[in-house]
Amino acid sequence: MALLERSEWYDIARCTNWTPSYVTDDELFPDLMTGAQGVPMAQWESYDEPYKTSYPEYVKIQREKDAGAYSVKAALERSRMYEQADPGWLSILKSHYGAIALGEYAAMSAEARMCRFGRAPGMRNMATFGMMDENRHAQIQLYFPHSYCSKDRQFDWAHKAYHTNEWGAIAARHTFDDLFLSRSATDIAVMLTFAFETGFTNMQFLGLAADAAEAGDFTFSSLISSIQTDESRHAQIGGPALQVLIANGRKAEAQKLVDVAIARAWRLFSLLTGTAMDYATPLEHRKQSFKEFMSEWIVGQFERTLIDMGLDLPWYWDQMINEFDYQHHAYQMGIWFWRPTLWWNVAAGMTPECRDWLEEKYPGWNDSFGQAWDVIIDNLVAGRTELTYPETLPIVCNMSQIPICAIPGKGWNVKDYPLDYKGRTYHFNSEIDRWVFQQDPLRYRDHLTLVDRFLAGHIQPPNLAGALQYMSLAPGEIGDDAHQYAWVAGYRNQRTEKKAA
Amino acid sequence: MALFPVISNFQYDFVLQLVPVDTENTMDEVAAAAAHHSVGRRVKPRPDKVVRVRRQGSETFFPRQAKLSETDIQPMEALEFIFCDG
Repeated sequence: MALLERSEWYDIARCTNWTPSYVTDDELFPDLMTGAQGVPMAQWESYDEPYKTSYPEYVKIQREKDAGAYSVKAALERSRMYEQADPGWLSILKSHYGAIALGEYAAMSAEARMCRFGRAPGMRNMATFGMMDENRHAQIQLYFPHSYCSKDRQFDWAHKAYHTNEWGAIAARHTFDDLFLSRSATDIAVMLTFAFETGFTNMQFLGLAADAAEAGDFTFSSLISSIQTDESRHAQIGGPALQVLIANGRKAEAQKLVDVAIARAWRLFSLLTGTAMDYATPLEHRKQSFKEFMSEWIVGQFERTLIDMGLDLPWYWDQMINEFDYQHHAYQMGIWFWRPTLWWNVAAGMTPECRDWLEEKYPGWNDSFGQAWDVIIDNLVAGRTELTYPETLPIVCNMSQIPICAIPGKGWNVKDYPLDYKGRTYHFNSEIDRWVFQQDPLRYRDHLTLVDRFLAGHIQPPNLAGALQYMSLAPGEIGDDAHQYAWVAGYRNQRTEKKAA
Repeated sequence: MALFPVISNFQYDFVLQLVPVDTENTMDEVAAAAAHHSVGRRVKPRPDKVVRVRRQGSETFFPRQAKLSETDIQPMEALEFIFCDG
């Protein structure tokens, strides 16, 4: 039997709006859940998804993708990637899996909300596929690291991280709960798919797949490519939703959703990708600095997308670009110094050659971050390792849940951005984080950061050991220097040579 | 005598830190407690200087011998610890 071309039946088949007779339209699609902002159903029917697919096409392609990724994994099962890879690469894998795998489940729930409460039939259709995508992403990113668990317990955190109160896990959960799980269908379309996925993850996954191939980890490279092709499809759910909002006089509301989502995504991206690109990636494999990557892909490309959409750049755009110069360097110092509080071993990325590269890419780095690293290196060379470990907690931002930090040394600009709200003082990393809180204080006000919990007596005994226990970090999982301080030898040799001269 | 948490923003360091002190501590003692977590860890020692305490954004330092309980500093207020000549 001859089949019709998809284009001949698609528009009719996916038009699943109807006039309810047993309940009212408002009861079927409450505004709280749809986020339609009062834009009537008829207007939403103009929603036109740029990427169209049918269920049989979807299943066929997804089956091929899965078969491809799983067969690469099977073929390379006996490769010695784990044994031969630079420890910095393994750190990237562990941080990625722990921070992302279960976040994909959160994204699946978010897509499911769009399936049910999306006001446009096309959005519901696309989100049905998106929901299945995210389920696949969660499962594949749990299955792949599982094979490393017998070699290295830190890989167990691919599944464990989100079930703990480890601070990075709290930061990821807080962000994803905000953007994915506790929003309406339209908010999710804008915040998850347009801002987070188009703006950040789609780009990041492209870069990460290339980095994996460069590092010789073809299993991870094929896994990430497989995910990225899904992302680039379902990330397109948000664009047409934004067009409907803007065309119906809701630009200000749409702009706010975009601005909040980019602000929140930027913090996590800076922590995970910024430190991975400029520190954990072995020097010989670095193609671009994080700042170059951000300037080209996020500023260059995403900026055009925002303008083309009829939106403005977020009010904090210049401040965010300014942060490309320092925020991830500060996060790197934080994750290295507080390394026992992480589920992966942190690559310092601090050989003399690495420092030359950092100074070249970020002129002035030696006078700022370099000064603080000098003290750390002096301690390591002199065998005063105990001084390279923390004895207290950093203050954590009430929005990002990441330590409040900035530039040390020359150009010192560290600052608290406090806010008094209904008898409680909140602390923020920047005006941007504080602004996000002010947009919806009810949403955020009751959350306790790790430091708030410590002060409230939730962490017992009230010391670092108690904090590690609270974060469920067991022996064999607690992070340390990824290269077992081998990089310090470069400085020891330099000093011996200097003395000899 | 009461435990009193403050936020240390130590000059030349990169991060804000939680520092538990006591209401009976003088500003010099509060500064020493904050220095313990920064100086010699990520901030180079400056033995020829003293560390003075001021409120974030203020130009004026608290008197070195003033006790915490004698000031209007609030728990968990961000204090700046600055190297000074004396």
